[in-house]
Parts: sequence; C-alpha cells; structure tokens
Amino acid sequence: MGMDVSRRGFLKLSGLSIAALATGLGFDLSVAEARGYALKLEGCKKIPSICHFCSGGCGLLLHIKDGKLIHLEGDPDNPTNEGTLCPKAASLQHVAESKDRPMKPMRRAPGSDHWEEISWEEAFDRIAKKIKEVRDASWVREDEIVTQEGEKRKVPANRAEGIAVIGSAEVDNEECYLLTKFSRLIGTPYHEHQARI
Amino acid sequence: MSPSFGRGAMTNSWSDMQNSKCFLIAGSNCAENHPIAMRWINRARKKWGAKIIVVDPRFTRTAAQADIFAQIRPGTDIAYLGAIINYIIEQKLYDEYFVLNFTNALYKINKDYKFEDGLFSGFDAEKKSYVTDSWAYQLDENYKPIKADSLDDPDTVFSKLKEHFSRYDFETAAKISGIPAEKIKEIADTFINNRPGNILYALGMTQHTTGVQGIRCYAIIQLLLGNVGKAGAGIQALRGEPNVQGSTDMANLITNLPGYIPYPTNAEVTLQDFAVKHGTAQLRPMVALLKAWFGDNATEDNDYCYEYLPKLNPANKPTQTEFFNWMDKGQFKILLNFGSNSTVSIPDRKMVARGLSKLDMLVVADVFEIETAQFWREPGLDPKEIQTEVFFLPAVFVYEKAGSMTNSSRLIQWKEAALKPPNDALPDLDIIDHIFKKLRELYAGSTDPKDAPILKARWNYDNEHGEPDPLKVLMELGGYDETTGEPLPTLGAYLNAPIGTVSTGCWIYAGVTGKGNLAARRDGIDKTGLGITENFAFAWPGNIRVLYNRASCDANGQPLDKDRVLIWWDAEKGEWTGNDNPDVVDKTKGPDTPEGKIAFKQNPEGVARLFAAKYVSRNPGEPIPIRSAGMCVDGPLPEFYEPVESPTENILHPNVQNNPLANVVSTEIGDVEEYPYVLTTYAVCEHFCAGGITRNIPWLNELMPEPFVEISKNVAKKHGIKDGELVELYSARGSIKVRALVTDRLQTYKINGKDQETVGMPWSWGFASLSPGPSANTVTMAALDPGAGTPEYKCCLVNIRRA
Amino acid sequence: MAKKMLFIDTSLCTGCRACSVACKAWNELPAEKTRRLTSYQSQDRTTPTTWTYVSFHEIYEDGKMKWLMYKHQCYHCGEPACMKACSSDAIYKEEEGYVLIDHDKCIGCGYCVANCPWNVPKVDNTIKKARKCTGCIDRIKNGLLPACVATCQTGALSFGDRDEMMEKAKARLAEVKEKHPKANLYGDQFMGGTTYLYLLLDDPEVYGVPAKPSAPVSLTLWKDIIHPLGGIAAGAAGAVVVLGVLANALRGNYSKRLRDNAGVSSQSDGEGR
Repeated sequence: MGMDVSRRGFLKLSGLSIAALATGLGFDLSVAEARGYALKLEGCKKIPSICHFCSGGCGLLLHIKDGKLIHLEGDPDNPTNEGTLCPKAASLQHVAESKDRPMKPMRRAPGSDHWEEISWEEAFDRIAKKIKEVRDASWVREDEIVTQEGEKRKVPANRAEGIAVIGSAEVDNEECYLLTKFSRLIGTPYHEHQARI
Repeated sequence: MSPSFGRGAMTNSWSDMQNSKCFLIAGSNCAENHPIAMRWINRARKKWGAKIIVVDPRFTRTAAQADIFAQIRPGTDIAYLGAIINYIIEQKLYDEYFVLNFTNALYKINKDYKFEDGLFSGFDAEKKSYVTDSWAYQLDENYKPIKADSLDDPDTVFSKLKEHFSRYDFETAAKISGIPAEKIKEIADTFINNRPGNILYALGMTQHTTGVQGIRCYAIIQLLLGNVGKAGAGIQALRGEPNVQGSTDMANLITNLPGYIPYPTNAEVTLQDFAVKHGTAQLRPMVALLKAWFGDNATEDNDYCYEYLPKLNPANKPTQTEFFNWMDKGQFKILLNFGSNSTVSIPDRKMVARGLSKLDMLVVADVFEIETAQFWREPGLDPKEIQTEVFFLPAVFVYEKAGSMTNSSRLIQWKEAALKPPNDALPDLDIIDHIFKKLRELYAGSTDPKDAPILKARWNYDNEHGEPDPLKVLMELGGYDETTGEPLPTLGAYLNAPIGTVSTGCWIYAGVTGKGNLAARRDGIDKTGLGITENFAFAWPGNIRVLYNRASCDANGQPLDKDRVLIWWDAEKGEWTGNDNPDVVDKTKGPDTPEGKIAFKQNPEGVARLFAAKYVSRNPGEPIPIRSAGMCVDGPLPEFYEPVESPTENILHPNVQNNPLANVVSTEIGDVEEYPYVLTTYAVCEHFCAGGITRNIPWLNELMPEPFVEISKNVAKKHGIKDGELVELYSARGSIKVRALVTDRLQTYKINGKDQETVGMPWSWGFASLSPGPSANTVTMAALDPGAGTPEYKCCLVNIRRA
Repeated sequence: MAKKMLFIDTSLCTGCRACSVACKAWNELPAEKTRRLTSYQSQDRTTPTTWTYVSFHEIYEDGKMKWLMYKHQCYHCGEPACMKACSSDAIYKEEEGYVLIDHDKCIGCGYCVANCPWNVPKVDNTIKKARKCTGCIDRIKNGLLPACVATCQTGALSFGDRDEMMEKAKARLAEVKEKHPKANLYGDQFMGGTTYLYLLLDDPEVYGVPAKPSAPVSLTLWKDIIHPLGGIAAGAAGAVVVLGVLANALRGNYSKRLRDNAGVSSQSDGEGR
C-alpha cells in the first residue's frame, strides 16, 4: 500500500508548511506596541481565507482569539486585493456571529406550516432512504435509440430519472467535485448549478 | 470563448489589468459587482493613461468612471460590435501578423456555406436546429484544412467574415442599439488606437438569447486587433460567483464531466464509441477520471468501468432553468440543492414554485434559511396544499472549512478552516460524504448491476476522525500515478503517462498537489512588474497566468512588446521560457517547428477561430479522430437577433426576428403595445446574487435597504411618479410592487427613429431574510441561449403604473 | 509622530461604501434602520453609530451625466471648533492631527455638535457622550492604516505624512483639471487645515458641503473675545450685559441645531434589520 503511506506523508508535510507560513502573514504586530491605544488585534492568530462573493478571489485575513473572530479584513499578502476589500467582503465578520443561522437541521413535513428540528443522523437517514426509493423506482436500464443507419437499438442508460441535483458556485472545489462524483455514481446526469444562469 | 480560443476561461488575471491601455467594459458593471477590477484598472490609468469605455443600458457606478459612456438598448450588443468588426476590416485596421499566423483567416470554407435572410445554411425549421456540415473547412487528403494564399480569396474565413459583417454599418447599428453612430465610431477608434486593449464582460453579455454570439464578437474583435495572448489584452469573463470557475471545472453541469470532458450520451455505449464521437484527445481525461472514480476496479478489460456512468438521453437534457419545468411535469421526485437560491434567482419564478411543489422531497443545504428552503411559506401560497417534504441542512461558511476555490483568472487558492461555526453546521463536503456512505450501507450486498457504481467506487477521504479531508479530495483532482500511488508532479506527467496508469479527478488541475499543496502557496511577490506572482497559489493549466501567451512573440519567438514581456524562445537553452509559464505545445519545440508556431493548442487547427467552423482533426488512415473543435449551435459567425420580447422589429431581417434556436421556456409572452418598456435586471454593489448571505448582514442592508425600479424622468412624468413612490411593475408573467427611483442615469433614446425607454431593477431580493423585498424575477422571462442555456434576464418587456 | 493626512480622491471613488462597512466593523458600530433617500444613498448624516457615509450626487448637464461621490466623516480640523466649544475640555488633539473626544470627561452637552461647520459629532443619548470618527487612532498609533483606507479598493483613499499627501493631492489635481476644470482641493484652506483633504471634481456646494466652512461667529466671539475679556473685566457691568446677550444667542443656536439632529438619535435606536 505505497499509496497510503505517501498520501499520509504528504498531508503531514503540507500541514507543517501551512503552520509555518501562517506566522509570517500580514502586517508586523511587533511594531504595534501599546502607545496608550491598545490594539484589539494583539494576541490574535491570523488565518487567511478567501472571499465568498464575486470571482475576484480576494484574500481575507481573520484575526482570532480563543476561537472567536475578533476582526476580519483584507489579506495584505494576497496579490489580487493587496489587503483591500469591497463592502460585501468587509461585512463578512457578521456571518461568523450571526444569530440568524439555523442552529440544527430542520424538517418540514408534507403540508406542514412550520419547521421541526431534527438530528443530523435522522436527516441523513431519511434523505438516503428517499434517494434509494426514488432511484430504484425511476431507474432506467435501457434507452431505445435510432442509429445513424436508421435501425432501432437498445442501449444501456443506467439512469435514475427521478433525481435532480443542483450544486453551487459558492462552495469549495472539493465539494463541487464530490457532488459531481456523487451524482453520477448514484446514476443522475441531471446535475446543474448557477453557472448556467 | 471556447469555440474561438479552445478554452472558455478568462484569458488573463485581475492584476494583469494594470498592463492595459484601453478597457471596453460592456456587459459588466465591475465597479459594483467586481470591485477589485477597479483597483487594477485604476493602476492602468496611472501607468499608461488607459482609457475606459463603458457600454451599458444604464449609467452605472462603473460608467461614472468612464472616458466614453454609451447607453445601449439591452440585447443589441451584436449590432454595434458587428459595426466595429466591419470598420476594422474595411479600414484595414487589423493586425495582419496576428491574423495570418494565429487565426484561421486564410482557411477555406465549404462552398455550400451561406447566410441568407437571417439564417445560416443547414437550418432545419422543424427541429429548430442547424445541420452544420456546410460550416466546415475545405479539407485536403490528409483531413487538414486548405489554406488560401491570400485573405482576398473568396472562400477564406476572412472573406466570409468581411461579407457577413458588411451589413453592419455605424448607422444601422445606431438604429438598432440606440447608440449614436458617431459614438460607435469614437468607441471603435479609441479601442483600436490604444493597444493592448482589454475587454471586460460579465452577465450583462451572457444573459441573452444571443449571449454566446455576443462573446464571439468580442473574440473576433480581439483576434483582428491582435489583442489575445498578451499582457493587458484579452477577454476577461468576470465570473459571477466565488467559485464559478471551479464549479464549472468540476462539471456541476449536465453537459460535462470534470475538466470539460463531454458528457457521454446513450449512443456512446463503449469507450470506443465515446472516442469515435469526441476524439482520442478526450480518451485520456476520461480514463483518468474513471480511474479516480473506480480505482483498481477500473481496468482496460472492463472499459475502465465506463458502463457505470449514467448515459444522457439527448432528447431529455434539461438545463437549470428547465429543471423546474421538468419537476412540474413530474419527472423529478427529489431535488438535492446545495448552495443555490432558485426561488429568487430563476426567471419567471412562479414556475419554480410550481416545480418545487410537485417534489416528494426537497433537500436544501445552505448557511442561512434561504427562500428556496421555505418556498412553501411564500406569501400567497398555502403550505397545507404543498406536499413536498423539505429538509434544511445548516452548512458552514467559507472560512469555517478547509478547501480551495478557483477565482475568475483560474487561480486555485487553498484556505484552512479558521473558525468553528456558531451552530451545529457541517461543510457540504461532510454532508455529501455522509449521504453517500449511508447509501452504500443501504445497498450493501446488492448484486443488482445498477448498484455496482455505488458499491465499487473509490470513496475514501476520511481523516483519523472519520470525517472527509478536503485535502485528500484536492489530491484526487491533482491526480496520482496509479502504479506507484505517488501524486502526479505536473500536468506534463499526466499528459505523458500511458493511458490507464494515472488518475485525475479533474485533469486540468493535474499537478496542483504534486510538490506539496501548490494552491496553498503564499509568496505574492511580483518580480515582473506585470502582476505575475507565479509562487502564489496555482493557476490551471500548468500555472499559466496569461493564456495563449505564445501569441505575444514574433516569428522568431521574441517578445513583440518590450514593455510587457511574457515569454520568449531561448535559442541557447533550446526552450521556451519567460516571466510566465509558456502556453506552448512543447517547451522544447522552437518557433521554426510546426509545434512552435502554435498559440491555440486546444483548438484542433492550432489557431484561433474567427469563423467557428466544424472541424475534427484526425490522422490519415485512422478511424478515430483526434479532437473536435468547439462549435456554436446557432451559427459559425455572430448575427444580431432581437431579444425574444422586443419593442421593435429586426431591421436586418424582419422574417427572422429572434434567434431561431432560442429556447423559450416561459409560456406567457408580452407585446410592445401592452408592455412598452424594456426591463433590464442586475445586482448592486452592496448585495450578492440572490441575497441569501448579504440580506442577512445588517451592515449591507443599512446601505442598500430595499430594491427599486430605476426609471427615466420622462417615464416618471408620463405616469406621474415621484422618486420613492410605490409603483407596480408588470409583465406578461407577473407583477410586483416596488419603489421608483427617478434618475437622469436612464435617458430616453431613439430606436429606428422612435423614442424608447429602458427601466432597470436589481434582482437580489426575496420574501425572507432580515431585509425582504420584491423579486425582479417575478416579471422576467425564461428564454434561453441555445448554446449556454443562459436565460435572457437582461431584457424583457414590462409596463409600469402607480401602485 | 509627524502630522498625518488622509487624502480622499473623489475622482476615483465609485461609491461602493466599503469604507462605511469597514468603519463599522472595526469600531463595532451596529447597523441602523434606513431607507433609500436619494440616488443610491441611504444615509445623509453622521450619527453616534455612523461615523462615515457616502453621499451620491447625480448631475445631468449638456447631455452628459456625472455621478459624484463624497465620503463624509470628521475632518479632524487643525483648529477644531468643537474643541474650542467643548464645555468640559473633553476634546483634545493628537500630534498626528486627530481630534478626539475623551469620554471620561464628555458630559454630552452637545456644544461640539452645534459648532462643527459640518455638523459631525453626535451625542449618543443613551450614554450621554458625543461620538464621531476617531480616525482609527488605535490603528494609526499601532502602525496600521485607518480601516476605511485599508479597505479601499479603488485607491480613492490614501493615508500618509501630511506633506507627502499634500504633494500627491496637488499632483493629482493638476491631472484631473484637464478633464474637470472646476476640480479643487477642499480642506487645506480653512479650519486651520483639515487632516482629511478632498479632491473634488466640482464646487463644494455641489456635494452639499460649505465652500468656506468656519467656526460660528458666536463661538469666536465667545471664546476669543468675550470670554477672555470677561475674565479680565469681570466687574464691568457693560461687559456682563454683552456677554449675557451673546450667551443667550449661542444657546439658542445650540438648541436649534440640536433639534435638527433630533431625528438622528432616534435613527440609531434599533439595529437595522
């Protein structure tokens, strides 16, 4: 199993390099001595990220103390935005502390007028069972096509006709990819997202 | 862009904009929707005195920065761009070296090719499609296109181009677009005389039933002017979302598999059939993908598990907007919806509610409780009558998860998780992983062949806590040598390996994790002064920052522009080298070799395509072709057609008013008598797309608290509307109440001698969130571009009255 | 530390208002409930929790459209009227040029509000203290850019030593003048020279700011003439009478301007939702 060893080795290596790089980010706080005006960033860990909005890919820099976001601004080391941010990106601190994010998975029963909180386990269980049910019921093994020569021919379809998947241009590559793989493995080519619109 | 250049991506980078001498910003309101662009545009103004031309239906915050502004009637870009193309050709203002060496200008076109009265040859009126055989080149006995000796040969692409656009003079373009003829000439002269010139577009150009052909006009202009493959030149498709380049690369689309592999249809039963249809060039990425998906189970003997892929029925190929119609018709029973707010974003949105109501189950994963998740409680609907079971799964936000995103300039940037979410949320990655593992459990032990793909897939991304590790997924994209298990070091390693010995989840990302996680690199130093930071993150393909950069060199492989040196041929070392990674066929093949002359290697011809001809390259005597060229389904050259809902007739060809291939999904179409105004929709700087995030941020709601309909003072006067008053905006499809914004930024204009008005409304609002508001998409129309499937959000007919 | 200057080149401002958001994010100021007022503008005054905002000015002349932007905030005057008017010595100046309010001393009397030529400081009625832009003094003292400057993508905002910024502004003015003959620098010729300097494309009135801002006459009379005079000649009856009249006029002025601002404090009661 050479592959596993080498993958693990790589992960370890890259984890180290990221940690090492993270100390050299942004402005130098060593000059930021208290001069009667304490800086709330002192003692913060600085972690870079990427903006959630347009396709600029501007770098964010999150200042974190005790697991709490103290401040968010542009990443001065990112060559695209050089520390600057538009109003949408500059507001992103709010999302980390928003009280409006639903706390738990929720289910709305057919015909109901309200949500009910459920556990992740129950949500996954119900969703997977429904996918299986729809997949099995709407499975198309074969299509009939007309060949260029005008003959009718049965060809494999291997399709779950009843499942649609809409992905997102607002999630990570790894998530986009896994969703593509997931959709095609369960048998649906019916997979789209907002790049189209 | 793909049918022109071979790749569909933005040609240069954000920071490369500093090298331009002129910007044509048309179909983009970048000061509002891609604010970072203004940083680099302003640097170009400072460095080079760059000129800014803005063409837009409204005077926007970008227009406020322009040297030249032109107000255009929505949906008529091809008219004025066609006039510019005509002017460049007639006045011989094109870059002859570029045109002769890097485009198909000299190639001879099939004698049967014709364009008559609004239709290209091969039109099938019944099927509403073209038989494209006459759009081909004349070929020699080796299947190579025949080249003429001179551009003047009547069969050449250049002659066809010249003839086609000869109908587009400045006056005709003015009558169609509403831009005065002298202003179109001023735009043309300014752009032609200030090279390198850069074109920026976004959804303003794509959201039309003629969207793809509008971009083709841009490609033709830039190829004629030699504005491709150079620093400060090119076509910058400013994409709409943070990872829309990545999500498209990963093929969250019905037409592709990751890395732009064509999606196999049911007629392609075997891998061999697939190769015959799409060329051997697609075989390598397809097999590498199958190896990534099925690992050791994929062998040469079993066609690498090709049969496991669900095959598309070409007769049933809905794109996103049509999904909701298919739901309404009962095909789909379950919709899994990750990070998308269709209830606000899809045109003719009553159709969306009808569709979602017909589902058995809707699963929505998102950060906030977006409108789509609670479509059943939209005011006016009765939840009791909606039998759809709905799940809302709280997803983590961008900085709460590790992973990569690919920005508009193909830059793959990695980030670590910085924070824990404030709620019991999970990354989408974990959600997908959990559901897949659950399904695997449910199907465990099944011997039904239909369940084999689920049971035999390679799917192990677990870290020590049993959670999926995004880095392991990125490594799958970057690829492995399957014989050793080592990550593929470079794109070259993937390209040179025997088929079946390597895997990549997305071949264009090959090498991204080859020497450590290159997407996580943080050295942003620009040693070139051109905005090239080759050690910061990783740009696909092969870390090239300016695509087609071979075209920046002369016949000897030396830079044409000494101020903007990208690459050159180093004769001593015998290789292409430079400030950027060379986009060449083979770094060791010099400018005197056939390979060394090629700047557009993804096209089977090796040159860029002024005329999007039908062409498949093949080796003589071999039954399977190598590579087929990208085509436009609605014509090899751009042609102006009126929007589906238009206030006037098509003066170029009254018998063919609209794009004959336009896919009109909406059933209610209005006419100009009842709906005299053209509505255009857009976003504002302070809100993003369907507003799912931004309408839940009080700081942004404070700045842009509500939507509005922007109207000219003449429209206001006619209806007795004052600024800030509530009005009813209505179309054939729906009606909304919204406050009026009366402004000089929209002016009455002349279309074919008659006064015409445009009104505008931002679309980012919906009935939920901290800042609910009317949705513009209640009135817009679902009419789709035949090639891209993009809806015509930018123009439909409406009327207004006091509410 | 040397005198600093923040240069606002309105010719490069696109009105994106990242500066407004960055100000609120850094200074932890809540959003206010607003509505659209005119053009794309939803704020038209500073408040205890809005220290900077951008006004939008649409001008259509001779078939040409202009859309001008103006970022409003405290100007941090060289000779601040607010400081002079302050009844409790709470307002002071930092060496960089910043004018700050010491909340330990501030009693919320509102004299600073009434005497600012731009009406910038505002009393937060819940804490009875005046509040306004601090210039991000905490960031500046620690070697960081002010939050608004740090976020500005277009390059409209820049920050540096006063001399250097003046040079930059003059050079930019010369460039801009070619296309905009009315362009002018706003800030260096009054109030002792402000720390925030503007390049405007049109006359100040077009942006809704006074062309020649000055401290109210009443304040000058009170602080520079009568108050010292009163101190010296406290026994002189005539002086007492004059002083009384002027003091009343002053108070009248204060209360009128405080009334004008009454709507503002109610605006900041709830977080904008």
